[in-house]
Amino acid sequence: MKKKFVPTLLFYLLVLIIALIVLFPFLWMLTSSFKTQVDIISWPPKLFFEPTLQNYRKVFEEQDFLKYFLNSTVVGAVAVGMSLLLGLPAAYSISRYAQTKLAVFILLARLMPGISFLMPWYIIFSRLGLIDSYVALILSHMLIALPIVVWIMSTYFSTIPRELEESAMVDGATRQMAFLKIILPLSGPGIITATTLSFIFSWNNFMFSQVLSMERTKTLPIAVYNFLSYAEVDWGGVMAAAVAIMAPAIILTMIFQKYVVKGLTMGAVKG
Amino acid sequence: MANVILKNVVKRFNAVTAVDDLSIEIHDREFAVLVGSSGCGKSTALRMIAGLEAITSGEIFIGDTLVNDMAPKDRDIAMVFQNYALYPHMNVRDNLGFGLKIRKFSKTEIDARVQEAADILGIEDLLERKPKELSGGQRQRVALGRAIVRKPKVFLFDEPLSNLDAKLRVAMRAEISKLHRRLGATIIYVTHDQVEAMTMADRIFIMHKGALQQTGLPMEVYAKPVNLFVAGFIGSPAMNFFDAHLVNEAGQLFIDGGSFRVAMPEDFRANLVAHAGKEVVFGVRPEDIALHRPGADVGSTISAKAEVVELLGSEIFAHLSCGAYGLVARMAVPKQPIGVGETIQIDFNMANMHVFDKNTSDAIV
Repeated sequence: MKKKFVPTLLFYLLVLIIALIVLFPFLWMLTSSFKTQVDIISWPPKLFFEPTLQNYRKVFEEQDFLKYFLNSTVVGAVAVGMSLLLGLPAAYSISRYAQTKLAVFILLARLMPGISFLMPWYIIFSRLGLIDSYVALILSHMLIALPIVVWIMSTYFSTIPRELEESAMVDGATRQMAFLKIILPLSGPGIITATTLSFIFSWNNFMFSQVLSMERTKTLPIAVYNFLSYAEVDWGGVMAAAVAIMAPAIILTMIFQKYVVKGLTMGAVKG
Repeated sequence: MANVILKNVVKRFNAVTAVDDLSIEIHDREFAVLVGSSGCGKSTALRMIAGLEAITSGEIFIGDTLVNDMAPKDRDIAMVFQNYALYPHMNVRDNLGFGLKIRKFSKTEIDARVQEAADILGIEDLLERKPKELSGGQRQRVALGRAIVRKPKVFLFDEPLSNLDAKLRVAMRAEISKLHRRLGATIIYVTHDQVEAMTMADRIFIMHKGALQQTGLPMEVYAKPVNLFVAGFIGSPAMNFFDAHLVNEAGQLFIDGGSFRVAMPEDFRANLVAHAGKEVVFGVRPEDIALHRPGADVGSTISAKAEVVELLGSEIFAHLSCGAYGLVARMAVPKQPIGVGETIQIDFNMANMHVFDKNTSDAIV
């Protein structure tokens, strides 16, 4: 026992150090959100301070946080929903008919820097009068969600034995029915993973929303901008808003952690 | 019920020909077994009958209907898969009823049929369980049940017993045979196991490298294999083969294997004489080898050295060597045990021996 004690201690010490490094910005954000502006910019940083909720009050009272929250939710939910609607059959077809070219093409869309789409989008959407519309935002966020759905689900479908749907087809089902009645009910874990991940990516997206939305459809990450003005940066407000934005994503991840980790490795190892 | 006819059916996967010009006719109510080593195209043939695999060319009829372009669901067939393919999210009752439900049968009809199938297979107690709560044998029964409830024209079995342990396999073999008699159904059964083929089939279809080798009653293919492949495939332990010369000396035909020489029975002379002087393959089944009884001269006695003797209780498998040849003999347990390394005298039952053309592999006698 004694021999093992020291290496175990060292191991956890190392874990602690790494965790601190990784979590430091998060901790900084969290503590700053409870500090006054004076405390935030004071040097050396104050470890002990009198916590205040005024930053949160600003976020929820002075800003129309609820509206941004709803915007983010609507855009994320609809974009993910439509991505599932299009992506699930696509992923099934990629998995069963070995359409690797199509799969690579979809991945390519994901690998291209998002900003290269933005300029043409902006022109197209403004000509169609769709700037600051949900349609434009949802379509742009589908570029984020769809490849995630397709890649996670095509890998997932490949783990389901073909005989199941063949059996259903012999039993009297069309391929579409076999997909709906046999394959989809078995794909719960995969769908949860794809949904959670793509929703979080959509939730966190800044660039597309920044360019394509204005006051009406502004999403949460953009709302943080409201705390930056010409005269000063309201760090407390920024930090509190950031915490409020991250909370749903963190809660989602914690609930579906098991599936999300599995989904991430699935894409990585077998994709 | 219906017959199934395959006419010149070909299946190519890119450059690979999986099934090559297969023409077979399976009669109504027949238990047909397609047998061959893995990769011989038997499963592909079955999947083409099921409609799960498109055919490259040829025609498939179920009953009088050409089914080439018909979806699996419209062919009125049922299939049992090697891995059972039970729907994991449904209990046994729903698994059995699935096919009927999507064919829009009434609830009472579905219940009645599920109950009937469960009775036949003895799985009434399992109806509410999920597949993962069943043993391998129980899953197999449910898979059979799912086929039975449909009352299809044709049953297709794709190696259904391969995932069971040896003991259960023997039991299920008998059960499927019984089921066939009870249902009076047309069954097409694919297996790589020649024992399953021999024990269950009305007729055996032996395939090799995508082509049909021989069709016949189990005893026919056993007694009269048409070529070397069939001879080696059917029977366990496998037939012994010897590369030999057929020599004609003073009006008597001999098989000359170098280290042994046996006289051919007069009955075979007519077939064999044209091959005199040529290289042939001489085949003897292990069960056609017996210890020589002193005094009885059968003209086929040779000496062989015992390498390994496997005692099975009721009989022995003696692995022998004769010059460069190895052979296996299957015989009754001798009164005097055969010691390893001992040289013994054995007789071939020449009435049951086989001679094959070495170039074409076809049987001569």
